Amino acid sequence: MDYECVVIGGGPGGYVAAIRLGQLGKKVALIEKNRVGGECLNYGCIPTKTIINAVKLAEKVKSMAGRGVNAQLSLNLKELKQWKNQVVTQLVRGVENLLKSNKVELIYGEASFVDTNTIQVKLKDGSTREIKTQNSVIATGSVPIELPGFPIDHTNILSNWDMLELEDIPSRLLVIGGGVVGMEFAFAFSKLGSKVTVVELMDQLLPGQDKEVSALLYESAISHGMEIYLKSKALSWTKENGTLKVKVFTQEGEVEKECDKILLSVGRKPYTKGLGLENIGVKTDEKGFIIVDDCLKTNIENIYAIGDVVRGPMLAHKASRQGVVVAEVIAGLSSRFDNVVIPDATFTDPEIASVGHTVESATKAGYEVIVGKFPFVALGRAVSVAETKGFVKIIAEKSSGVILGAQIVGANASDLISELSLAIEMGATLEDLSSTIHPHPTFPEALMEAAEAAQGKAIHVVNRPWRK
Amino acid sequence: MSYEFKLPDIGEGITEGEIIKWHVKEGDEVKEDQPLLEIMTDKVNAVIPSPVKGKVTKILAKEGEKVRVGQTLLLIEGVETAVSQPTETTQPIQAPQKEQKVVEQEAQRVLASPAVRKLARELGVDLSKIKGSGPAGRITESDVRAYAETLKSVQPQETKLIQKEALEERVPVRGIRRSVAEKMVKSAYTAPHVTHFDEIDATTLVKLREFFKNAAELKGLRLTYLPFIIKAVCAALKEFPYLNASFDQERNEIVLKKYYNIGIATAVEGGLVVPVVKDADKKNLFEIASEITRLTEAARQNKLTLSDVQGGTFSITNIGSIGGLFATPIINYPEVAILGVYKIYKKVVYTEGKIEPRDYMNVSLTFDHRVLDGAVAASFTNRLKQILEDEKLLLSLLF
Repeated sequence: MDYECVVIGGGPGGYVAAIRLGQLGKKVALIEKNRVGGECLNYGCIPTKTIINAVKLAEKVKSMAGRGVNAQLSLNLKELKQWKNQVVTQLVRGVENLLKSNKVELIYGEASFVDTNTIQVKLKDGSTREIKTQNSVIATGSVPIELPGFPIDHTNILSNWDMLELEDIPSRLLVIGGGVVGMEFAFAFSKLGSKVTVVELMDQLLPGQDKEVSALLYESAISHGMEIYLKSKALSWTKENGTLKVKVFTQEGEVEKECDKILLSVGRKPYTKGLGLENIGVKTDEKGFIIVDDCLKTNIENIYAIGDVVRGPMLAHKASRQGVVVAEVIAGLSSRFDNVVIPDATFTDPEIASVGHTVESATKAGYEVIVGKFPFVALGRAVSVAETKGFVKIIAEKSSGVILGAQIVGANASDLISELSLAIEMGATLEDLSSTIHPHPTFPEALMEAAEAAQGKAIHVVNRPWRK
Repeated sequence: MSYEFKLPDIGEGITEGEIIKWHVKEGDEVKEDQPLLEIMTDKVNAVIPSPVKGKVTKILAKEGEKVRVGQTLLLIEGVETAVSQPTETTQPIQAPQKEQKVVEQEAQRVLASPAVRKLARELGVDLSKIKGSGPAGRITESDVRAYAETLKSVQPQETKLIQKEALEERVPVRGIRRSVAEKMVKSAYTAPHVTHFDEIDATTLVKLREFFKNAAELKGLRLTYLPFIIKAVCAALKEFPYLNASFDQERNEIVLKKYYNIGIATAVEGGLVVPVVKDADKKNLFEIASEITRLTEAARQNKLTLSDVQGGTFSITNIGSIGGLFATPIINYPEVAILGVYKIYKKVVYTEGKIEPRDYMNVSLTFDHRVLDGAVAASFTNRLKQILEDEKLLLSLLF
C-alpha cells in the first residue's frame, strides 16, 4: 500500500481531513484537481465576504454623513478584485503550508476509483498514476444546478464563479434563485450600483428560513431598490442589441425583464462525476448524495465520504467537522458525526444566522414551544452604532426550557449565532443563557435578553406573551 | 409513499416499551384499528391498533426489542393519504385521514454535551439508558462514569460462559421479567433498605375473618386476611405519615401523601405486578375485598389498565399462602416502605397466667433509610400490631 488514506478533494472538508490524519500519524495523500481550499476558499465564502465587507463599509460610512463622519467615497471594482485575489492567495498558501507541515502529500490531478484499494489519478501533465490505499475519503463537493433553458455560458448567464471575475458592474442584474448565494450577490451588486431583480420560485426569500426573518430580508431588499418576484419562474431569454430580455412568469402574469447579466443560483448538487463510483459499488440516493453512517462510512468498508457529497446542508463548516470526525474514525478513535445542530450564516444586509429549530419545524416535530424575541432597537450598543435593524429569536421547549433553536437577523448575526450553537450542543436551558453575565455594551446581550423574554422577564422590552 | 407507523404516545408519561408480540407480518394487509402489536411498558401491556389501511411492507423492530415513543416500527404501503392530484375536471379531494391523537415528538434527544457523548462512546455506554442528574435531565460526565462502573461489575466473563454453554440454558430476559429486574435494581441501588421484623398475634384476625366470611360469601366475595390488614395499615399510616410518602431526589424533598393507595404485590406468569387499591382508607372491608379480586384477576389475564398500577403510596406483599417464616421485601420505588406478611400458624403461648394455643403471623417492614429511621419503623409496626390484635379497635375500622 502506498498510503493509509487518500482524500479526494481539497475543499474545507478534504483538506481538514488530510491535516487531521497527518496529525494522527497516518500516511496520507490529498488529490485536488483545481486549487486547495475548494469552492469555499476560492469562489465562495472567502472572496464573496471580501467584496461584501467593502460595500458594507462604504454604505456604513455613507450612513454616518451628518453624524460626524463626512467622506468622499468611490468604489473601484478592479482594486477590490486585486485585494480579493490577494486574500484568496494568502489563504490557499496557508493551507498548502499546513498540509506540508503535517506530511500530507498533495497531488494535483483528477481521481477515479479502479477498485476499492486503487485510485487512478490523471495528473496535470496528462500522465496517469495508480495509487494503492487502505482507506479513501470522498470529499468532492458540489456543483451548481443548471436550469433548463438557462445554460451557464459565462457571458450572459453567470455562475457565482463568474460573478467574482466581472470586469464591470452590470447596470442591470437579474438573479434567478433567491437563496443564500443569490441574495448575497443581490445585495452586494445592488450596493455596487446594479439595478437588481430577483426571481424566486418559492413564496419567500431564503426558502426554509423562519418566515419572520425572511420577511425582514424582503423589506430590506425592497428598500435597497431591488425588485423581488416571489412564486415566479424565469421561462426563457433572448439577446437583442446587447440587452438580455427574460420572460418571467409572475403572480401578476407574464412579464419581460431587461438586464445585462443573469446570475443563476438555484442551488447545488453533489459532484461525483468521473470518480468511478460505479466501479466499486458505492451507494448513492436518488439525488446523488453518497449514503454514509455516523462514522461517515459508505456501504464499502474502507471508503468514506464527507461534505457536500453527503446529505445535510451544503456548508463548509459541516464539511470541516466531518473532515475531523472521519480522520479520527480512520485512526481508530471513537469520534462520530453526532452533532445536534449545524448553524448557518447568510451575509446579506442585514446578516442572518440561524441554528436548530424554527418555531414551525419545532412545532411540526411535536414540541410545545416558548419563544423569546428581542429587537436590536432596544439594545444600547446597537443604537449607539446605528445598527438597529433586526432581532434575536430563541425557541425553547416549554416544559423543560431546553433551547431548541434560534434565528438572528441584524448586524453581526453570523458572529452571534455560535453561542447558541454551543448552548444547544450542551443541552442548555433558557435559564442557563439568561443567568450568564454578558458584557455591556455588546451585541450578545441581545441573546441574554431574548432568553429572558422567553421566560417573560426581559429587562429592556415590555414582556408580552409571544404569539405567532 | 410508505406510511411510517411510529409508536404512539400511550400516555401517562410512558416513553418506551418492549415489543411482546407482532400481530402482523410483512406482506399482511391490515385494516384500520386492526391490532398491529402488543407492547409492554413498565406499567402495563397495550395492544396498539393500526391507524390506517394498507399493506405491511417492512417490520423494523423485533419481538423483545425495546422501542421508544416516536420510533418508526413498520412501513405500510398503499395508504390513502390527503395527496390527490387536482386537475381541471376534478376538485381536490381531502381524503379522510385519521388524526393521530397525540402529536408525535421527534425521537427524544439525549441531553448531553459533545464531550460527554464522546466519553460515553469511549466507555461503551448507551446514553439513552442513563437518567441524567443535571437540569432538564442533562447527563453529566460523572453520570456516565458512574453508569460505566455499574456495567463493569455486572459484565460476565464471556469466555467461561461459552465453555459452560452446553450445561446451561440461556433464557432471554424480556417482557415482564426485564421490567421487574430493572425496577428492583433501581430500588435496591437507590434506597438504602432496612428491614424490621415482628410477630403479630393473629387470633383476633382469624376470628374476625371467620365472622365476616359468610356475609362476604353471600355477596359473592372471597374474603382473605388481606382486606383486614389493609384497613389496619391505613389507620397506622395516618398516624405515621412518613411511611406513606415518596422521596423526590431531584428537589431533595420528602413528599407526604394525603391519600392512601395500597399496592398489592401479585405474582403473574413470569414475574410480578403491583396493582393498587385506590383510596383504601375510604373503602370498607367488602369494597376492598372486591377490588382485590378484580385486580388480581385482571393481573393474571394481563388486563390491568394504567390507572390500576399507578399512584401507589405504600405496598404490601403477601406470600403467606406459599410459606416461609420471613423475607426482606424490596421497596416498590419511589414509595418508601413495604410490608411483608407471612403465613398464619398456631403456637402455644403463655398469656395472662395460662398457656394456650394462639394464631400468630410474622411481618417484616422494609423501609428507605433516607426517609425513615429504625425507631419510626418499629413504632409503626407496634401500632399495626396493636390494631390487629385489638378486636374492638379493628372492628371499628372495617366499615
